[in-house]
Amino acid sequence: MKRKYFLYTAAIALTVSVAACNKALDIKPTGSIDQSQAILTAKDVQSTLVGTYNRMAQSDLYAGDIFMYSDLMATQTIVNWTGTFQELTQMVNQKILVDNGFVQDTWLRGYQVINLANNVLANLNKVVADDKDRTEGEAKFIRGLMYFDLARLYGKAYNDGTPSSNLAVPIVLTPTTVVSDASYVSRATVKAVYDQAISDLTDAEAKLPETNSFRATKGAAQAILARLYLQQGNYTLAVTEANNVISSGNYSLNATYAAEFPNGTSAAHFDNTSEDIFAIQVTSQQGVNSFNTYFASSGFGGRGDVRAKTTFVADSFATNDSRGKFFTATTDGDGNPLYYRTKKYNNSLGNAHVVRLAEMYLIRAEGNFRNGTVIGATPTADVNKIRVRAGATPIGTVKLGDIIRERILELHFEGFALQDAKRLELKKVGSVQYNSPALVFPVPQRELLANKNLVQNEGY
Amino acid sequence: MKKHLLTILLLCTCVAFGFAQNRVITGKVTDQKDGSPLPGVSVTVKGVTGLGTQTDINGGYKLSVPATAKVLAFNFLGYKLAEQPISGNVVDAQLTSDSKQLTEVVVVGYGTQKKANITGSIASVTSKEIEGIPTTSVEQAIQGRAAGVLVQADNGKLGQGIKISVRGTSSVSAGTQPLYIMDGVPITTNDLSSTSAATSPLADLNFNDIESIQVLKDASASAIYGARASNGVVVITTKKGKAGSAKINFTAQYGKSNPSRHRDFLNAKQFVQIEERAGVGAAKQDFANGDYDTLDDALADYKSYVEDNLTFLSAGTDDWKTGKINTNWEREAFQSAPQQQYDLNISGGNEKTTYYLGGQYLDQTGILIGNHFKRYSGRLNLDTKMDKKLSIGMNLSFANTINDRVSNDNAFSTPLQIVALSPITPVIDPRSGLISGTLPGEAEDFPLYYNPLISKNNAFYKANVYRTIGNVYANWDIVKGLTFRSEFGIDQLNQAEDSYFGALTFRNTATDNGFGENTTTQVLNYNTNNYFSYKTLFGTDHSLDMVLGTSYQKSTTTGNDIQGNQFPSDAYKKLSAAAVKTDGSSLSTGFSFLSYFFRANYAYKGKYLVSGSARTDGSSRFGPNHRYGFFPSGSAGWILSQEDFLKDSKLISNLKLRASYGLTGNAEIGNFPSLGLFAPANYNGTAGQQFTQISNPNLKWETTAQLDFGVDFGFFDNRLSGTFEYYKKNTRDLLLNVNLPGTLGVANPTGIPSSTQVQNLGKLSNHGFELELSGDIFVGKFKWTSSLNAAYNKNIITYVNGQVLGTNDLNRVIEGQPIGVFYGREYAGVDPANGDALYYLNTKQANGSLDRTKTSDFNAAQNVVLGNPTPKYIGGFTNSFSYMGIDLSFTFQGSFGNKIYNSAGQYMSSSAGNGFDNQTVDQLKYWDKPGDITDVPEPRLFYGNGVSPSSRYLSSGSYVRLKTATLGYTLPKKAISKLGLQKVRVFANAYNLFLITKYKGWDPEVNSDYQAGNINLGVDFYSAPQPRTITFGINVGL
Repeated sequence: MKRKYFLYTAAIALTVSVAACNKALDIKPTGSIDQSQAILTAKDVQSTLVGTYNRMAQSDLYAGDIFMYSDLMATQTIVNWTGTFQELTQMVNQKILVDNGFVQDTWLRGYQVINLANNVLANLNKVVADDKDRTEGEAKFIRGLMYFDLARLYGKAYNDGTPSSNLAVPIVLTPTTVVSDASYVSRATVKAVYDQAISDLTDAEAKLPETNSFRATKGAAQAILARLYLQQGNYTLAVTEANNVISSGNYSLNATYAAEFPNGTSAAHFDNTSEDIFAIQVTSQQGVNSFNTYFASSGFGGRGDVRAKTTFVADSFATNDSRGKFFTATTDGDGNPLYYRTKKYNNSLGNAHVVRLAEMYLIRAEGNFRNGTVIGATPTADVNKIRVRAGATPIGTVKLGDIIRERILELHFEGFALQDAKRLELKKVGSVQYNSPALVFPVPQRELLANKNLVQNEGY
Repeated sequence: MKKHLLTILLLCTCVAFGFAQNRVITGKVTDQKDGSPLPGVSVTVKGVTGLGTQTDINGGYKLSVPATAKVLAFNFLGYKLAEQPISGNVVDAQLTSDSKQLTEVVVVGYGTQKKANITGSIASVTSKEIEGIPTTSVEQAIQGRAAGVLVQADNGKLGQGIKISVRGTSSVSAGTQPLYIMDGVPITTNDLSSTSAATSPLADLNFNDIESIQVLKDASASAIYGARASNGVVVITTKKGKAGSAKINFTAQYGKSNPSRHRDFLNAKQFVQIEERAGVGAAKQDFANGDYDTLDDALADYKSYVEDNLTFLSAGTDDWKTGKINTNWEREAFQSAPQQQYDLNISGGNEKTTYYLGGQYLDQTGILIGNHFKRYSGRLNLDTKMDKKLSIGMNLSFANTINDRVSNDNAFSTPLQIVALSPITPVIDPRSGLISGTLPGEAEDFPLYYNPLISKNNAFYKANVYRTIGNVYANWDIVKGLTFRSEFGIDQLNQAEDSYFGALTFRNTATDNGFGENTTTQVLNYNTNNYFSYKTLFGTDHSLDMVLGTSYQKSTTTGNDIQGNQFPSDAYKKLSAAAVKTDGSSLSTGFSFLSYFFRANYAYKGKYLVSGSARTDGSSRFGPNHRYGFFPSGSAGWILSQEDFLKDSKLISNLKLRASYGLTGNAEIGNFPSLGLFAPANYNGTAGQQFTQISNPNLKWETTAQLDFGVDFGFFDNRLSGTFEYYKKNTRDLLLNVNLPGTLGVANPTGIPSSTQVQNLGKLSNHGFELELSGDIFVGKFKWTSSLNAAYNKNIITYVNGQVLGTNDLNRVIEGQPIGVFYGREYAGVDPANGDALYYLNTKQANGSLDRTKTSDFNAAQNVVLGNPTPKYIGGFTNSFSYMGIDLSFTFQGSFGNKIYNSAGQYMSSSAGNGFDNQTVDQLKYWDKPGDITDVPEPRLFYGNGVSPSSRYLSSGSYVRLKTATLGYTLPKKAISKLGLQKVRVFANAYNLFLITKYKGWDPEVNSDYQAGNINLGVDFYSAPQPRTITFGINVGL
């Protein structure tokens, strides 16, 4: 009998006890945290700011892709593309499809960066006073840079038609918390997006410190502004900003060209060189250098998809120019080069350059030349400073063509080909003209389907 | 007990004295199949009520019968009724098992039910059907054996992803796999692979321990599992011992696997021919684009470019000119694949306690180089009656599986990507005497891609799983008819993945001094069921049984991962030696379900059946606004054959009509989809966070309403029997990853930028028919039984708010079309004038028709529906013959009406338009000169003429396959009984013996592992074929 009672009790207890443990349904994630807990303190804002860098350092963006697109679309005469990513082949062929995954991912990733920057900026009130300007400056630097590049990729060139009516990308300045009607933003004009970038970068310039470890600095904001003004054809401001960077004394050219692309016996992280104004940091624990992915051979951890044509290396560089020797040749049986690869990206843990001092000299040279001014130095002095560092013979009197050529010799494969071609209004970029719709990314098909307020670009 | 015995003896004596003219009959009842004694058989005198006994543990009985008795009847569950005339004092009987007997008991959720009374839809597979099949896991063994259950392996790699669809796919974004219940415990079946290629946790089960598998298909059968039943429920019951002397059964088999098919690629001469032609094609295009001043310049330039590359690919020699090196790389991807398997089980017991012990060692070599699978497993099932009212028991199994895995299909290192290498490239590089591709430095780009052969001796990836599944139960008969059962079960899975990629694999790992990774995953999944069952008969015509109870399950997954590179040498393979630890992480996640369930079955006069069930499920996975879901079902049946007008029919022995309707749910949506989340995002040694998920507090389960009509029939004393069913499943509140504007900036921690939100949005439906037929065509000495199952399913996405979902080349979700429908440009062949690939414009015209003009502008062509990746018809056909100890059985399995997309077509069938990848032989039909009629465009090096995703790479995926065939011979009893053996059978098993299909690839049973998902279906990407395995074995029973 005793056992019977025990069994009765057990049976009922088991049935009821299970039913009562309602709390058992509360299981919280451990790898992530609830958004309501994410940004409460000053430290949380700083973490979000670091997250913004993390997002911009993804392969789709400043780890390299965003620059490589530009080279793939406009360097048909100097590279051979042998890669198997069809979507990159589309860029080389200047026949991009609306569902191109790279075009889509860069758009999506770009707005992840912008949203995190917006989260930082919306929570500045939580930041301690001493950190406030720097925090705001860094977030605005990243956001301004991002808008500038999105406008250049997804909108027509600033010098093509009317920037105040040509469409670029949507502008979002507040952090995302919920989905609402306001989430479906229309595209802003090229001018509006450039203006937003200028506003952000100008604020950043004002608020950022002169030095800030590997993070954004006043010089970085000025350097991007110089690049932006040059893109707009606003040579006066371009010279001013470039000159600000050069005269700040915070940066200096490396002794050799190769030193700008440091490499050890095997892949390793190096801190920024004295010439780096802003670079994406890559370490063995985080980040990727996607220049390395596409430009470097498999022996250096890359896919080796982009090869320099022998004609480019043989015809462009003078024999004493060390930049012409910064290539590895693959030879046939007789020792004749079949093709070359640049040595710039042989370090798979090398930092991905976003902007470096040599470009500032070239911007100042071009701006001064076009305006007939001599701010900081003469164009000849600036160009020769770059040439002499590389071991090339100085030019007696520099002309505009020399400056443009020097940009290619110095900055090739660093992401300038397409935007320079547009700025210089080249008649032949691959097989089209600078203002061809084929040189503007489509609005990703995914976005058009997800947001009825978007309209597609011409030609797609 | 002694006392009782005495009483019985006394009684017997009395009776004996009372009816002196009675006779005492003795005898033994055995199983016709193997001669084993059958305890518990009821022995009665025909035509006399109230007189009878049961056989004892040795099958013996003793019964006192009146002198007038003529015939004894022997009755035992699961066996055909046997009648023996009384002649003499010894009457032995042999019983024949009867799988179709309607008194058969079927395992259902939280209990069992007589098959005759079931009003739901359940497909059953018994141990006999799957025993000894030389596959790795149980899903493969049931392929083609259960109506409406589609089993599809991703590829031919061992122990890897297998998709099961029960009555179509019921979800777009949430889980589509059935819930698996083993001996009452919901077991862990989700993929735990740390690569993008899924593994199958069911491969940890030794399916020779399985007694029966029931697939609960309709709502009536499955709704008792509530929020997780929409994809069907697979109820697995393991073997139990039977009272009687110990039975020992040992089986050994040994055999070998080969690729079931090969695919042919160009040989050296053909390769050189097409590449040279591609250079010409590209030169013409370049010239037309204005890149060259004269065509001759362009041709000369390309000629030297192509020749230089051919020399390079020929290991720097001119051998490509002579065809001296002619490597068939495809054959290099495969290896000789022996396999062996040993099974030992022992079972027995007495009236109180029964036991089953099972053990297995399985050692399979995969057909792909480097692929190997081993399993050690043991099981103990124990049941004991403590007294008349209380019984307890346990089922406990242990397994260790060791899977030497190969890279996923998308990796250069996966064996079959070897086919991209050029036939003019030697396996051994003459310059070094080593495997091509192992020389760093100058040869770093040689051969064309990473050579997967390097991985064979320089890399490993081992997944080692320890799995314990066990449960204990107590069953208490409280009063007559009322029982309480309490079950507690645990499924513990510990997986350790260890890999090392040596220095020579640098081209694959992008690191030059070795790369290692170590991942451990632990899943602790426990479950308790507590329920009351009540069975009663009232009056003479009413029977009622009910179940009421609760269930709670909690599953916790923890794990960690570490990666490192820079090893001192390849002799060091553990991460302690890695100079740089590149990544380290740990994780912990989990879910829980709290459930209440109820079911009642009522039968009137044994022919009018009504049944209902209800379940409430709460889950940690759902949003706070919808924590609990309610899932009811109801069904009714009418056994016409019990009605007077059919009762005596000689023709119709069974006829039952049934119908059911109910709601089930789907909760397989990941663990925290309703929350708004931030996740870590560090940068250069500083800690950061990012926004990864936007919240949806209203999130709840998907609901499927299912209607089912069935008719069960049996003719000629059930010699021909079958079932025909129609069902319709409407799924609503789909858990959909809804695309949000990218401008919201919602990241996705998996690395793919997403900007999606999980919402309950969308509807889909499945409807179809299922037919099962089985017949004893010949009975007697020569036996022939035949069974057929066939199913048709039509899946339609009815509403997704106008979205087009999908991420790969062609698979999409579109309203009005089946899930994953191929949607893209329609290939229109080749322009005979210039060799351009053409596409149909397919733009909608004013009158609604499509413009069938052909264009060479891919962008101008519109996307159209190109085909369905899911088979419309599936089926299986099994025939078994036996004669004089010889048995032969074979099962055909087929699927029809689906298309397969070769997403590697852009590389391997590109008419050399995409570089120097070797090409499939059909590319030789390329367009060469104006007027050529072909569907292979002109080769144009790097011009990708016609390689964009289109219907060019779609083909029919229908096939019929001889899935299994078994030939056995059982030695005559007489011959072996002297050796003290009960049974000796020698046999040969064949698996995937042959295949009939029009598909040109390796295997039409395919869905490339790295991308397989709910939407990504029917995609071939260097996917390995199924193995063709032949084994020989012996089965000994004693």
